[in-house]
Amino acid sequence: MKAKYIKDWENELNICIRCAYCFEGCPVFKELGWEIDGARGKLIVAYGLLTGELEPSEYIAEKLFQCTFCRDCVERCSADISVPDIMGAVRADLFEAGYSSDSHKELLKKIEKSGNIFGKEIKPPVFEGDKAVLLGCRLVERKEDSEKYLIILEKLGVKTKTFNESCCGMPFAVLGDKKGFSNQQDKFRETLPDKNEEFICACTTCVFFIRAKYPDLKAKYIIDEIVERLPDYKGKLKKLNIKVTYHDPCNVARGMGMVDEPRDILKRICSELVEMPTYGKQAECCGGGGGLLVSDDKLAEKLAENRVVQAIETGAEVLTTLCPTCEFNLKNAVEKLGGKIEVKNLLDLLYESMM
Amino acid sequence: MGLVGVQRLKEIVGAENVKDNKADLYVYGSDSSVHQAMPWVVVRPHTIEEVQNVMRYANPRLIPVIARGAGSGMSGQAVPIKGGIIMDLKKMNKILEINLEDTFVRVEPGVVDDDLNRALKPHNVFYPPAPASSRIATIGGEIANNASGVRSVKYGAVRDSVLGMKVVMANGDLIHLGAKTRVEATGYQIDRLMVGSEGTLGIIVEATLKFVPIPKFRCLGIAKFNELEEAGNAISEIMSSGIILSMLELMDNIAIKAVNQALDLGLPDVEAILMFEADGMAKEGVDIEVKRMMEICKKHKGFGLELSYDAKERTRIFSGRKKLFPSLSRYKEGYVCTSLADDMAVPYSKMADMAKKIHEIAKRNNVIMTAYGHCGSGCMHTKILMDPIKKTQWEDAKRAVFEIYNFVRSVGGTTSAEHGIGISKAPAFKREKHESLELMRALKKALDPNNILNPGKLMDAPDDWVTATKLRYTVKLEGK
Ligand SMILES: Cc1cc2nc3c(=O)[nH]c(=O)nc-3n(C[C@H](O)[C@H](O)[C@H](O)COP(=O)(O)OP(=O)(O)OC[C@H]3O[C@@H](n4cnc5c(N)ncnc54)[C@H](O)[C@@H]3O)c2cc1C
Ligand code: SF4
Ligand code: SF4
Repeated sequence: MKAKYIKDWENELNICIRCAYCFEGCPVFKELGWEIDGARGKLIVAYGLLTGELEPSEYIAEKLFQCTFCRDCVERCSADISVPDIMGAVRADLFEAGYSSDSHKELLKKIEKSGNIFGKEIKPPVFEGDKAVLLGCRLVERKEDSEKYLIILEKLGVKTKTFNESCCGMPFAVLGDKKGFSNQQDKFRETLPDKNEEFICACTTCVFFIRAKYPDLKAKYIIDEIVERLPDYKGKLKKLNIKVTYHDPCNVARGMGMVDEPRDILKRICSELVEMPTYGKQAECCGGGGGLLVSDDKLAEKLAENRVVQAIETGAEVLTTLCPTCEFNLKNAVEKLGGKIEVKNLLDLLYESMM
Repeated sequence: MGLVGVQRLKEIVGAENVKDNKADLYVYGSDSSVHQAMPWVVVRPHTIEEVQNVMRYANPRLIPVIARGAGSGMSGQAVPIKGGIIMDLKKMNKILEINLEDTFVRVEPGVVDDDLNRALKPHNVFYPPAPASSRIATIGGEIANNASGVRSVKYGAVRDSVLGMKVVMANGDLIHLGAKTRVEATGYQIDRLMVGSEGTLGIIVEATLKFVPIPKFRCLGIAKFNELEEAGNAISEIMSSGIILSMLELMDNIAIKAVNQALDLGLPDVEAILMFEADGMAKEGVDIEVKRMMEICKKHKGFGLELSYDAKERTRIFSGRKKLFPSLSRYKEGYVCTSLADDMAVPYSKMADMAKKIHEIAKRNNVIMTAYGHCGSGCMHTKILMDPIKKTQWEDAKRAVFEIYNFVRSVGGTTSAEHGIGISKAPAFKREKHESLELMRALKKALDPNNILNPGKLMDAPDDWVTATKLRYTVKLEGK
């Protein structure tokens, strides 16, 4: 295998002191328990591929794709190593060496064909104001919900404008398809109404990814917009009589450092907010990221179940979150566990409170 | 390892608990040291009986067995220098008993230190050794290394918390050592021999540990010094004046620079910073101790003094020390932070000399070294920052390590305070303990006649640590 992309990370692989601090909160390591499952193990394998001491194999590909890009390891790292970036590089090398599973190929084909992860034509609700709002594939598909989120913005005084979106390309990047990503980047840019104007982004994954991979674009997270406008909001905001627990999406808490803001909103609109044993920047990942849902859906589901069990143990009636992918994964897990808690997007709660 | 052997191990621990894929072996061949070597197979027992059966299989066949916790050792203790079976004990992680009446806890070896303390906290007690790696280090690994930490000046090292243990010997026999009582004078203290044995004498499969009450008050102070010598004098006086302290930490100028450079914490660019702490059940008692330390610092020209009982403030004051490790890793482009000659202990009165010597030796040998550490327990930490792909840098590091340990011995210090010997520190250890090496070998032979328990370590490790194993980095000849 040509170590074309991982070569750029040789210095970082040397800097990793192999301390194992990244074992502590890694959801995959906690579930599977072999050292190859934690960030240190994965980085050592990446190093072996770089030096040629290891040859790529189906097994290595399986292991390196079992990472949710949750950044828990980054948060705890002794040497500030950006593990997901290194995983992205080694996956790109594996992809070029032909280690791409059928499920990966199928997903990427769908995006190439339709511009979204569902492989079919989906259209956002029509809003024709002046502020562009990017919903992201999952929310475009949930038209009723996204309409509510746009109404929240309207009530706060934003004249929103939707458009026919194309995927930001995140799945190509995390699954290692560099060329596919580059093509998708062009398509994504083409659909943006104005590349020089700030736009609001309703999807946590998209906004974090766009900020990292499209440094010239100005993506504003919907929660930032809401938090700025809420103090001046004079409309209805009733207290919902529910005990709620909040699951921090990795990209929100660790990725963008946003921990208090969603909680402040919840404290205003819900009668009680309780925390799970891990929360904020230490929150356990639900397993929905890093392409795990396509690489190993069973593992992704198991990680979500682990998180749901923690939520149920708080005694909360509602498990709320902000990321549509977390929501999807957690909902499936709740169903599997017999529906003992309801999963809702925080924006759904806010909408209810405003109505 | 042949197919038959792997099959037999699968029968003992279950097929799902055996790995012999090359990628797994490559991962388990490394720890937090500079060394790397390939094991033949990795097994993950869940019960004492499984450990016994693995030993019964390996012993007559002369197959090395290397116990492994988190693999966070910094001297290559868990690196399988002679191949063999890695016994990953992380799944033996049950807390078996918390006995509040008799103040002990019984645990399996794979219990993580912080998990144990999380379980003890509701009872207002804690297991105190607290190595910095407590978030991942296992109790088995801590005992096998006699780990210690920032508060060991008051609460001791792991050896002071161990009451007893169960050990599986090389031939598979299970023995009970120590007792559940605070004192014991019942013959040879073989449990003590197991502490710090680095997996070479037996596999610790259960430990009985004592715990102590969580102090109600904790006060942290900080003082800055323009001269390292002045900080050194303050350390000597604090330690010789009968103060009951729970922490005394030093950071030298390079450590301060590293933290400032990486984190912009705005620490003053001084020669040394001391952080001191006292804890206890009564505030008056804590007050007396911290104020005495503050006075001593002042007397030795310490300035910028701060004191705080507040948890948030203490975190702020300590943040520089806490962030030191990541900062050192980023100190100079192309350099890495290696754990070489990293944890010697020297008499209190020699701390400042030691720090100065470290700087002098580093300069002479073209590497960067910093001096920081748990002065309260006499432990001085250093790291060698170097370019790991340059062959000449390894020669430089080797000379620096040699000179440092010569100095340590000349002032009556010892090779390792807490990180253990393994492979990297074996040459210095052998020079220091030359009179007792044969006795150690005889003990090892008596307990492990076939030399299968973590062979090639401590007194049996190679004399040149640089060539002892493959290095984890790809070293290139200069100019290529
Ligand atoms: C960033 C960092 C900071 C550290 N800070 C400290 C510190 O402050 N203080 C300190 O003392 N150490 C420190 N260490 C070193 C290390 O974490 C400790 O020595 C720790 O106790 C090792 O535990 P482990 O579970 O990782 O053991 P491993 O590294 O897996 O094993 C270490 C040795 O113990 C043996 N062993 C493990 N389990 C058993 C068992 N059940 N029976 C018999 N032998 C066994 C192994 O064979 C090996 O020889 C630090 C390490 C790192 C990477
Ligand atoms: S915590 Fe960071 S430095 Fe330590 S092993 Fe993991 S990735 Fe490497
Ligand atoms: S990003 Fe998350 S899943 Fe991936 S190695 Fe780090 S902690 Fe584990």
